[in-house]
Amino acid sequence: MFKTINFFSTFTFCSAIIFSQVKLDVNTIPTKVDIHLDGVNIGSSPIKNERISPGLHRFEIKKKGYAPLSYDLLVNPAQAVELDFFLNPIYECKFKTDEKGLVFELNGEHRWDVDLVRLRLEAGDHLLRVFKIGEIIDEQIINVDQPKKYNYFLKKPLSASN
Amino acid sequence: MKRFLVYFTFFSNLLFAFDQEATYLVLNHFDEPLSDIDQSLIDNFNNASFNFDESVNLLFDDVDSDNNPASKYMDQIKELGNIHHVNYILLNKIKHIDDRIIMEGLLFNTRSGGLVHRRKINVKDYNNGSVNEISLWVGEIRNKIQKQWEEARESIMFLNPEEISYDKTPMGAALRSLAIPGWGQAYSGNPLSAGIWAALELSLSLAFISSYTNYDTSSKSYLQNLKLYDATDDEKEVSAYRASAEKDWDDHVMYSKLAIALAGSTITGWVSNSVHAWVFGPRPYTNIYQKGLPQTAVPKG
Repeated sequence: MFKTINFFSTFTFCSAIIFSQVKLDVNTIPTKVDIHLDGVNIGSSPIKNERISPGLHRFEIKKKGYAPLSYDLLVNPAQAVELDFFLNPIYECKFKTDEKGLVFELNGEHRWDVDLVRLRLEAGDHLLRVFKIGEIIDEQIINVDQPKKYNYFLKKPLSASN
Repeated sequence: MKRFLVYFTFFSNLLFAFDQEATYLVLNHFDEPLSDIDQSLIDNFNNASFNFDESVNLLFDDVDSDNNPASKYMDQIKELGNIHHVNYILLNKIKHIDDRIIMEGLLFNTRSGGLVHRRKINVKDYNNGSVNEISLWVGEIRNKIQKQWEEARESIMFLNPEEISYDKTPMGAALRSLAIPGWGQAYSGNPLSAGIWAALELSLSLAFISSYTNYDTSSKSYLQNLKLYDATDDEKEVSAYRASAEKDWDDHVMYSKLAIALAGSTITGWVSNSVHAWVFGPRPYTNIYQKGLPQTAVPKG
C-alpha cells in the first residue's frame, strides 16, 4: 500500500515537472552554433523540441569567427519558446597610416598610435576618431563588411596659388 | 559597438490550430506610414480574411509592464471580436530607431481574449523591410512563409568570412607569375613591377642560354681539336690544335660555371618573382580620407 502511494506520488511529481516544462526551439544564422543554456551546452543549432523550465534563463551562443552573444530570457509557464539568433561575423582587418603624430580611437574604447595595427572587428559600423596633439581632428563612421586593410590619409591642404 | 542582429519570438501557445478561413482584425500602429501593407496581407494570405481598423488605440500600451501580459486585454479583445466578428486580433507595432526596425507582433484569440502568439524583432532596416517583416510574422502564424521573404531578410546579413570569395587573390597572382614572370604583378595592377620582373627574368634567361650555347660550342670545338690533334704528326699542326684545344677547354670550363650560376639566378629570380607577386598581390582595402568634424561637434567661438 505504501509502495503504491509512493509510486503514484513519484509519478505525479515527475508528470508535473515534465508537463510544466516549455518546448524550446533555437535557430541560428549561421547554423551549427554551440548553444549554452545556463552554462550547459545543449548542442548545436538548430535545436528542436528541447525542454526548458519556466523562469529566468541565460543563453550563450558561440561560434568561431562570430561575435559571441548572450541573451537573458524569462520563460513564462505554458509558453513554447522559439529563439532565432543572427550572429555577426568578426573580420580580421588591418589599419595603416603613413601620417605622423596621430592617435586613433575606435568606438571610444580602443586607442593606438602606431602606423599599422591588426584589428578583429565585428561587421557593421564603427566610430573612428583621430587625434593630433591632443585635439580631435576627425570623426567618421567606417563600415566593416569584409576582411580588409584600411589606409588612413589626412586631408591635404590646398596649395596657395598666386 | 554591439550590433547583434537578434530577434526573438515567443509562441504563447503552439497547441492552437488555425482555421483555413480564419478571420483577423488587423490593428497597425506604425511610426511611419506603410501604404502597401494592408493590400500586401490580403494578396499574400488569400485563405484568410482581414479587417483593418486604425481607430483602436487601447492595445498599444507596453504589455510587458503588466504582471500578466497574456490576459491584460481579455475583455476588450472579446468585445472587439464580437463587434468585428473575427477569430483573432492581430496587432502590429513598428518603430524605426536609427537604422533599425523594432517590430512587435501580438496575436490575440477573440474566443478566450488571451494573447496566443507574440513576436519581437530588432533588425537592421533593409529595402521594404517593414512590409517584409510583417509578411514573415503573419506567414509564421499562417504557416505559409515564402522563400523570397526569408531571402530578403538574409540580404542584410554580413557574409560568412569563410564564404567570401574575391575575384583576384594573392595566390592567383603567385601562380601566374610562376607561369610567366611579371604576369602576376600585371594581374595585380602593377605594370611597372611586371615590366621589371619580366625584363630581369628575360635577361637572365637569355644570358643563361647564351652561356650554355658557348659552353656547348667550346665543348664540341675541344673534342674536334682533340681529334685533329691525335690525327696529325705535323709539329706545327700539333701545336696549333693543342693551343686551340686548351683554349676551348678553358672556355668550356668558364661557360659551364657561368651557365650554372645564371641557371641558379634565373630559377631563384623566377621563384622570387612569384613570391613577390603573392606578397604584393591583390588584397581588399579601403582608403579613409580625413573628413574633419561634423558641424555639430565643432565648438562655436
